[in-house]
Amino acid sequence: MKKIVSILTITTLTVGWWGCKKDSDFLDVQPTTFLTTDQVFSDPNLALTVLSDLYNRQEDLTSLDGYLQPYSNNTEPGWRTMADFSESFPSENGSSYIVSRTGWGYDAWRLDWTRAYTYIRELNLFLARDSASTGLSVADRTRFYAEGRFLRAIFYFEMARRMGGVPLITRTLDYDYKGNVTSLQFPRAKESDMYDFIISEAEAIKNDLPSDINEKSRASKGAALAMECRAALYAASIAKYGAGTPSVALPGGEVGIDAAKATGYYNAALTAAKEIISGAAGPYALYNNGGDLSDNFANLFLDKASAETIFMEDFKTGGKTHAFTTNDQPYSFSDEGGDAGRLNPSLNLAEAYEKLDNTYAPFATVDGGGNPIYYTNLQDIFAGRDARLAGTILLPDGTFKGKTVDIWAGYVLADGSIFTSDEAGHHKTLPGTSTPVQVVGTDGPVNGLELRSQSGFYIRKYLDPTTGSGRRGQGSTVAFIRYRFAEVLLNAAEAAFELGDPATAAGYMNQVRARAGLTTPLVAADITFDRIVHERRVELAFEGHILFDMKRWRLAHKVWDGAPTGLADLVSNIGVATKHSTQPWGLWPYKLYNPASPDNGKWLFKETLPALVTGTNRFLFGNYYSLIGNDVIAANPKIIRQPNQ
Amino acid sequence: MKFYTRHFRHETGTLPPGLIRKGRFLFSCCMLFFFITPAFSQTAKITVTGTVRDSTAKGIPQVTVTENGTKNATFTDGEGRFTLKTGPNAVLLFTSIGFIDTRQAVGDGKDLSIVLSHSNSDLGDVIVVGYGTRKKESITAAIATVTSKDIDRVHGGSTVSTTLAGKLPGVTFRQAEGRPGASASIQIRNMGTPLYVIDGIQQDEGQFNNLAPNDVESITVLKDASAAIYGVRAANGVVVVTTKKGTTGKNTINLDAYKGWQSFFRFPKVVTKTYDYLYYKADAEMNTGGSTSTTQAVLDAAKAGTDPQYRSFDWRKYVLGNNGAPLNSVNVNISGGNDKVNYYVSGTELYQNSVLGKEYNFNRTNIQSNVTAKLSTGLKVGFDINGRVETRKNPGVPGGDDYFLARLAVLRNTPMERPFANDNPQYLNDLGPHLESNYAFLNEKLSGHFRSDWRVIQTNFHIDYDIPGIKGLSVRGLGSYYMADELENNQEYTYKAYTYIDSSKTYKATGGSTNPWRDREQIKQINTDVQLQANYTNTFGHHTVGATVVAERIQNHYTRNWLHASPQSNYLPLITFAIMDQYQDADNTQARIGYIGRVTYSYSNKYFLEASARRDASYLFAPGKQVGYFPGFSAGWKVTEEPWFKALLHDNVNILSDWKLRGSYGILGDDNPNNTPIVPPFAYLQGYNYGTDNNGNLLTPSILDGNTVTASRDRGAAVTNISWLKSRITDLGTDFSFLNGKLTGTFDWFYRKRTGLPGLKNDVVLPLETGYNLSQVNINSDAQYGEEGSLAYNGRIRNVGFTISGNLSFTRNKFLSSYNPLFFNSYDQYRNSSEGRYTNIGWGYICIGQFKSQEQINSYKVDIDGQGNKTLLPGDLIYKDVNGDNKIDDLDQRPIGYGYGTQPNINFGFSIAANYKGFDFHADFSGASGYTWYQNWEQRWAFQNNGNLNAIFTDRWHRQNIYDLNSPWVAGKYPPNRYNISNHSDYTTNSTFWLHNVTMFRARTIEFGYSVPQTVLKRMKVQRVRIYANAYNLFSLDNLHQYGVDPETIDDNGLQFPQNRVINVGLNLSF
Repeated sequence: MKKIVSILTITTLTVGWWGCKKDSDFLDVQPTTFLTTDQVFSDPNLALTVLSDLYNRQEDLTSLDGYLQPYSNNTEPGWRTMADFSESFPSENGSSYIVSRTGWGYDAWRLDWTRAYTYIRELNLFLARDSASTGLSVADRTRFYAEGRFLRAIFYFEMARRMGGVPLITRTLDYDYKGNVTSLQFPRAKESDMYDFIISEAEAIKNDLPSDINEKSRASKGAALAMECRAALYAASIAKYGAGTPSVALPGGEVGIDAAKATGYYNAALTAAKEIISGAAGPYALYNNGGDLSDNFANLFLDKASAETIFMEDFKTGGKTHAFTTNDQPYSFSDEGGDAGRLNPSLNLAEAYEKLDNTYAPFATVDGGGNPIYYTNLQDIFAGRDARLAGTILLPDGTFKGKTVDIWAGYVLADGSIFTSDEAGHHKTLPGTSTPVQVVGTDGPVNGLELRSQSGFYIRKYLDPTTGSGRRGQGSTVAFIRYRFAEVLLNAAEAAFELGDPATAAGYMNQVRARAGLTTPLVAADITFDRIVHERRVELAFEGHILFDMKRWRLAHKVWDGAPTGLADLVSNIGVATKHSTQPWGLWPYKLYNPASPDNGKWLFKETLPALVTGTNRFLFGNYYSLIGNDVIAANPKIIRQPNQ
Repeated sequence: MKFYTRHFRHETGTLPPGLIRKGRFLFSCCMLFFFITPAFSQTAKITVTGTVRDSTAKGIPQVTVTENGTKNATFTDGEGRFTLKTGPNAVLLFTSIGFIDTRQAVGDGKDLSIVLSHSNSDLGDVIVVGYGTRKKESITAAIATVTSKDIDRVHGGSTVSTTLAGKLPGVTFRQAEGRPGASASIQIRNMGTPLYVIDGIQQDEGQFNNLAPNDVESITVLKDASAAIYGVRAANGVVVVTTKKGTTGKNTINLDAYKGWQSFFRFPKVVTKTYDYLYYKADAEMNTGGSTSTTQAVLDAAKAGTDPQYRSFDWRKYVLGNNGAPLNSVNVNISGGNDKVNYYVSGTELYQNSVLGKEYNFNRTNIQSNVTAKLSTGLKVGFDINGRVETRKNPGVPGGDDYFLARLAVLRNTPMERPFANDNPQYLNDLGPHLESNYAFLNEKLSGHFRSDWRVIQTNFHIDYDIPGIKGLSVRGLGSYYMADELENNQEYTYKAYTYIDSSKTYKATGGSTNPWRDREQIKQINTDVQLQANYTNTFGHHTVGATVVAERIQNHYTRNWLHASPQSNYLPLITFAIMDQYQDADNTQARIGYIGRVTYSYSNKYFLEASARRDASYLFAPGKQVGYFPGFSAGWKVTEEPWFKALLHDNVNILSDWKLRGSYGILGDDNPNNTPIVPPFAYLQGYNYGTDNNGNLLTPSILDGNTVTASRDRGAAVTNISWLKSRITDLGTDFSFLNGKLTGTFDWFYRKRTGLPGLKNDVVLPLETGYNLSQVNINSDAQYGEEGSLAYNGRIRNVGFTISGNLSFTRNKFLSSYNPLFFNSYDQYRNSSEGRYTNIGWGYICIGQFKSQEQINSYKVDIDGQGNKTLLPGDLIYKDVNGDNKIDDLDQRPIGYGYGTQPNINFGFSIAANYKGFDFHADFSGASGYTWYQNWEQRWAFQNNGNLNAIFTDRWHRQNIYDLNSPWVAGKYPPNRYNISNHSDYTTNSTFWLHNVTMFRARTIEFGYSVPQTVLKRMKVQRVRIYANAYNLFSLDNLHQYGVDPETIDDNGLQFPQNRVINVGLNLSF
């Protein structure tokens, strides 16, 4: 009986324990990652975590970590966003579509509408909650508010340059559940309204942001002005050059800007640029740390303290890293087999770098008689050029991490035939010899062999020499620079030129060129539209400008005209803005094997179109403004379609 | 009756014995209703004597012998003999647990010989249902059970699910993976992932799979409304597992041990000779671009084989070198008890190695201890513990799936590539981009270590108390504490790969990995479950009533952390802060409360009624919306118990001995369809998530001013208007038993309609510029329906007892309706509507043949490849131009498959068992149909990813002389090979050429056993000794054998780790 009593006591206690917690308490499970709005906006560190997410969700077509594809959550790796437009060749089997297609779909480069406006909504919510908060100091609140507006403006800029005018939503829109949504339907803004908004926002917030050149990863006065300067320049050139493509416009101005507005925008661009150049936002300057000019140019992208960087996306071990170096380091440097060599700059781009006397010339592969020119050293052919060539592109025999890249395509025998292998770095026995020797570079080029250079070049810009930066598990922390001082100078040069002041333009351009070793200054008469176009291409290669520049100058349909690029096309008209470039060519070094010849063992070069380049780039009028999807229009009948689609 | 019986015997007496049985069976069935004579009564009593024996002619003690319809009864003695005084025309009923109830007329009453058959369906058995047990005869729901004796025989894998192929009608089975420790995908009627309940506690699939199969007493699946008692998580059916308990009586020590040898059931074959590789490569390159660097001279040299660079290496043989990899298990258990205590204590050690290498293995140690003690009258306490340590070990391999690179090596590495530089095992050969699939480095020495340990313990404490004073009333308390702990350590080494430099006879390090990887994961899952239960059951005359009420609280608490580091050396396994670069942390809690009630009523063992309801509350929903009610009803009618029906049969139980009709209907809930919460946890809260998005995915932090700043994101509009979906299951079934219980069967028809599947109301379309969506509401519906049945026959021919049984189930899922579906046009509707359609449709082209000649291509009107057919060669696929527009595009696609990786719609099982003296034989088969395998990647085009040639592509269209573009074409099965071209019209789109709707029938367990006879055992002083040999997956009849893949495989590249064929020998020993 005693046992029964004790057992029943235990049972009673169990029931009692059950009863002591109400059902509602038991079910009231609290999330471990949850913060109330009040908690967030009474602690500046927590509010900053919200901004942290908003900073992260900026959209870049070109970046190092990647580009989120519209209407999916797939990220295109950063390198692939640079491998287009015939400026580069994609050495990865799965990406050869980039060079086998015959143009771009109308939906190319568009932003995911839902994702975009979700972001806009969260920005608007942030602004509303920040300005309503009582727990934050005025200084914090004001700075956060300005940062939110900066991010919103820069995002609308990104939308505008891809899609033209879009609905400018500057407050949160909420459905009242009353069955009528017309009050939530907004038409597309005019394209000029978009730029006016960006310019006025920049002006409104610039003095609420720190005027500090060390503030590079968050919004600063310099960043606001740089954005304003670029936006105004875009608006101006669309107004001016859009006149040449009258069909790329909509009657309501959602696409296209009245030519009469061009001057005003050029002035706005120049003014903003001058404000930065004058040091009003901090002592920004070109990166010039001495030493080899090419190394200096490459280091500008590695040195996060550079006075040239105005606004960047930063990376850090343990927080956020990217795989650019993993994907693109030369094959023989790779930390793991199979991860290397994907981004191969094209000969089209490489030959655009001028000779030091300010003239354009193709690389000399043959003499006047059509006979090959033999070079003792691999790099001799590249000598005497703009230092940015070797600063941007890793050339054959170029140095990275203290080692040289082994790029050569094989032997040319006495009869002119080629002796090589379809396996990189392969050893074979040359005719008439008995000992196998290496017959092709370990880093390529081998036609069709992915991860090895197929153009004869690798990328150098952004490539991280830090140990381990090419490892999958570690990644690189090189920052992606969104705005830098050199671009501001080129913006100023372009605006001044378009405003009829080539002398001023020459002054700005010469600063940038001098840093690249082009020490013979250009004079006012040298400044032409083609010069402006050329300078931006070589200075800002792979930084995400080429598509948008070609669009705003309405050059895109001329440069990417869909006609194949022949060898004759390739080597002529260098420096001409409308020179077409529809297929990425390579420059392949060969070693002469002819013991009887004095040139035996010397190098010769052949311009080569990689075998996988079967398509051509054709840019249609309908490509100037990316498609707005049926889903968007179905949900808001006030949105009108793009022209020519 | 006698007359007809005699007549019958006379008629059949001249027939051969085989036909007699057959004739009797047919006769019984067909003539049932025609040969009836009225019974007549007599009053004089006679003395009846007889012996009751089992099928081995051994007397059965303690059989109840009853004069049917009276209370006149007796028991058999130790030899099975009995004596009873009855009326002269009485019918005797023989009942004993474990045997089929048998009736026999007394006749002249002298020395009756009665043989009782072991009940295969165990009608007298006790079946575990939700929160209680039921006698099988009073079951009114669609329930199927498999017991230890059926699953103990299966030695084909290491998890419980792998034992279930073809065993249970209504349970679909697909085991796509066969790696050590892998499980099969099982679903009840394809309704989705079921709820698992182990010894009364809701558990997950992993806990179910990793019980020791030896410790499982029974597995019961609740397929219909009977699952409603589990409420909001039961919509996909419930698998109820009961572990073994001690029995009162003798103490027994059992040993069950076996050793198996495994080999891949099937795996794709490749060309293994360098000459073949080069020949087919040259052929493919000629087809691709009209030229090849592999000249005839090279082929000749390769064929001669004298030049060392053309030696061949067989990677398939090398990688699958551990053929015969062991699968062993040893189980020792002790069970027994007396009137105070009973116990079952067991330990099991299982080891499964992989064909891919000795270092890839799975190890599991299970313990089980179930003890119940009777403390005093009416008071019992029990303590059940089960625990396990589950270890997975393999080399630390780059990439997500550590078993993948080894398998890829078979297909990717060419016969020209060799694992070691200059064949010197000191130097790993640098295979360039194929380096990671160089199997020679995939070992603990070069690539690292991976080890994951799950340590799990579940303890259940329960008290049962019969309330004194109220007959039939008892209470029960159950507390359960479950802890699962995972520790995973993975270190992937840096390594060097070499190239042999012939000129200098040196080895040069030219590749490898400089990327060390180190990660560690720790998971702790703690589940508590408390149940308070009261039961009442009593019989008043013909009326039996029962009632159960339960209150249950379930809490699951999950914590996890994961970190990553890059060690400075392969020799340093410890992680320091300095080398660590990632750390993830999670802490989640779930809570559920259920109140359960059930009443049962039966009248005279004839009519059965049951009603249950569960009030369930889930943490997923906003306060105030957490509670739901889930009722279920069922009824059964045992027709054979009706006097008028007995009269109809004239009490001749030989014909139809048992027949029950039953039906059930219930409403079940599902807050977690497809293992995904129907609404993200805490979606009803507004605010910010710190570091994650609403689905719990980590947000990338940003780097601001050089600091890593965690990202917080707005949770969006609060979601308060979504709830669990509702599932209404109707089931109509029947159970029957013919021929004195020799032929038993069951049949069910069911229909499950789910309403409240999440969907959007589209009356109002918010402009996307608002930046948010109206939340989903419970609005769409679908249905799962089908039939299933089983039949078993128990028979005996002379000394050979045998059982044949089979089951067949069919089920399909149909989407019913969404809210106001909108389509842009009729094609959009045709292609994208799901209204009233079967779900899981695979679309593709219809392949109507292959081109026979270039002339045929040139004159062919339909543009197949979108390029005017200029890419086509003889042998390329011709697609049907369904819409007649002379070009093949999306508009020509039609439904051609059942979807990727789905469960089969049709499943069946078949088994034969026979015994003769000490010998026994079992053969189990299972089959499936109504599912699709997609042939893609390595299985679709030649030299995928610059790899080796899959041997299936040697049977291809090709030119007679591969080097001569004008030579005539030779026909083959596959289109002409191209070298690693995936964007050809043959390959880019699914078509009937590449999709295979599979039907398979495969041998599961085929076993021969021998039991040492009792006479010998007595001398050895043991109870039982049995040895056996058994084979699992001996053969399969299916339409995928020609592709070299297992018929249950899912991966479309065919590289999935296949099921194993296992040959076992084993020993059962009882003391």
